[in-house]
Amino acid sequence: MAENNKNTVVYRLCGRIDSGNAPQIEEEILASLAGKGDVLPVLDAEALEYISSAGLRIILRLKKNYGDVKITNANSDIYEILEMTGFSEIMQVEKAYRRVSVEGCEVVGEGANGKVYRVDRDNVVKVYKNADALEDIKHEREMAKLALILGIPTAISYDVVRVGESYGSMFELLDARSFSGILAKEPDRIDECVREYVKILKKLHSTHAPEGRLPRIKDRILGAAAYTKEVLPADLGDKLVQMIEAIPERDTLIHGDCHTKNIVMAGDEVMLIDMDTLSVGHPVFEFMRMYNSYIGYSEYDSKVLEDFQGYPAETARVFWKKTLCAYFGTDDEDVINSIEEKIRCVSYAYLIDWSRRHKAAETERGRLTCELWKKRITELIPKLDSLDFKTDPAEHEDPNELTLEAEKENLNRVLEFVDGRLESLGFPPKAQMQIDLAVEEIFINIASYAYAPNKGRATVRVEAAGDPLTATVTFIDRGIPYDPLKKADPDVTLSADEREIGGLGIFIAKKVMDSIAYEYKNGQNILRIKKTI
Amino acid sequence: MTINKQKNENGLLISLEGRLDTTTSPAFEQELKESLEGVELLTLDFEKLDYISSAGLRVLLSAQKTMNKQGEMKIKNVNETILEIFEVTGFNDILTIE
Repeated sequence: MAENNKNTVVYRLCGRIDSGNAPQIEEEILASLAGKGDVLPVLDAEALEYISSAGLRIILRLKKNYGDVKITNANSDIYEILEMTGFSEIMQVEKAYRRVSVEGCEVVGEGANGKVYRVDRDNVVKVYKNADALEDIKHEREMAKLALILGIPTAISYDVVRVGESYGSMFELLDARSFSGILAKEPDRIDECVREYVKILKKLHSTHAPEGRLPRIKDRILGAAAYTKEVLPADLGDKLVQMIEAIPERDTLIHGDCHTKNIVMAGDEVMLIDMDTLSVGHPVFEFMRMYNSYIGYSEYDSKVLEDFQGYPAETARVFWKKTLCAYFGTDDEDVINSIEEKIRCVSYAYLIDWSRRHKAAETERGRLTCELWKKRITELIPKLDSLDFKTDPAEHEDPNELTLEAEKENLNRVLEFVDGRLESLGFPPKAQMQIDLAVEEIFINIASYAYAPNKGRATVRVEAAGDPLTATVTFIDRGIPYDPLKKADPDVTLSADEREIGGLGIFIAKKVMDSIAYEYKNGQNILRIKKTI
Repeated sequence: MTINKQKNENGLLISLEGRLDTTTSPAFEQELKESLEGVELLTLDFEKLDYISSAGLRVLLSAQKTMNKQGEMKIKNVNETILEIFEVTGFNDILTIE
């Protein structure tokens, strides 16, 4: 039986193929391929029990005539024959996949390209909508691996299986529950969910990706805006595209579909799933997708949200607002509204194009929803001059200042920044090195203790003034109030065996600098070190 | 940082190149942990070492303690900047600097 799919032709091989039936099978295949031109014959070996050398010769001749042949679903006996004969080296041979049923299983997550079911206590399977999903699965696996290496908590699939006619990836996720499930059943846990959600968003948005490994989400949104522009008045359309183009580039991570079905609580651990949209860019693009999930798609009819997330539309709105307040560290409505307007503007630019791609206007509800999006974006564009916003209240564009996660791994970034500033301010290498010493000791101190056991950010500021030139390096963190200068100096006259390992850091900083001063102000530890050359 | 090792009978010569700081000291510490057994004379060559922070000093102190029990440790070719650090921290009295 042949089944056509693009330029591949699939043949299902059944039972035994030996010298008795091989000529007949070859004849059937060749007859059906005649006149099809350049195609890839795919032999589905799921029901194949045995193949003799006469059968193997058919495959070789097909390869010779059509350049390539692919064998899928080979069971272990057939796979062994194909491996022994070297066939698996000269053509694509795919093993049969284990079959998994999701009948009656709870849905624990859902993304654009598939649903996640819990098959038992410790295992979930993500079933892909796309019938030919092997490429998608490979891509998602690569993205998840990259994210994991970069320190983003996520799950990596350990097996590919068949679920009905679809493919699935198996993940081990202990007791996994999506935030959607939690919000639907235990609405009083909303604040806890917001806290964990913001924590993971901040982690993503402060994690730098290696160059060239991930797509830039801005390119995708510019593609969408190119269409949306056409359905808006010309001046507004142009302004929209210009504003999106002007959003600053970032090399930090964007999940790209970070709503409550894609974040799960597995045991005590919070993890992201559905990593296939991992990209880099400004967090406005993350928030844009989040706005769409919680409000955008269901802006005309809130039932859309309730059907998808399984909790009331009101919960989604509250969750969204609380997330904004927690992420941006303010309850100030004016500040939040001004950020939200920028996010919404990008959202509608995306949604109007989405509506075209998904032919949503074919239904009455879809058409009215899209009309509403157009109306909203038409009101928003004239009000805005920029779609950029600061993602952290402490963050400035100031070249003298660097704000980053206070983590030991960031020491080299801090030293590079400080050395770069000192060099351009005219400090000689020896002074730089002495200042480096103090900077290292103080930054490592902050990274180790300021927020322990949690994490937080630190700001490092470098300034120089006066003649002779004096460098001032200021460290600011919002951690536990702590004056490192109060610690007694170590006794440097003791012998090696009497001395304790450690405790020298701040002492060295004091010795190499001309002055060190500490103050605690507005919830901040501020440590200022000076050196004159 | 680069760590270079040369071994002879009961002696071990380690040459360090670059910066011995929070980021690089763990590798040096690990290296020492694996190679000090049975060593009676440990010589550290700092000719190409540019920088040392308290994390590096910690490893040196711990190596000195180990060598005090089983032999001797010497440091040679220390540059001026690093020597100053040894002086302010009293390490010049603990270590044998040539």
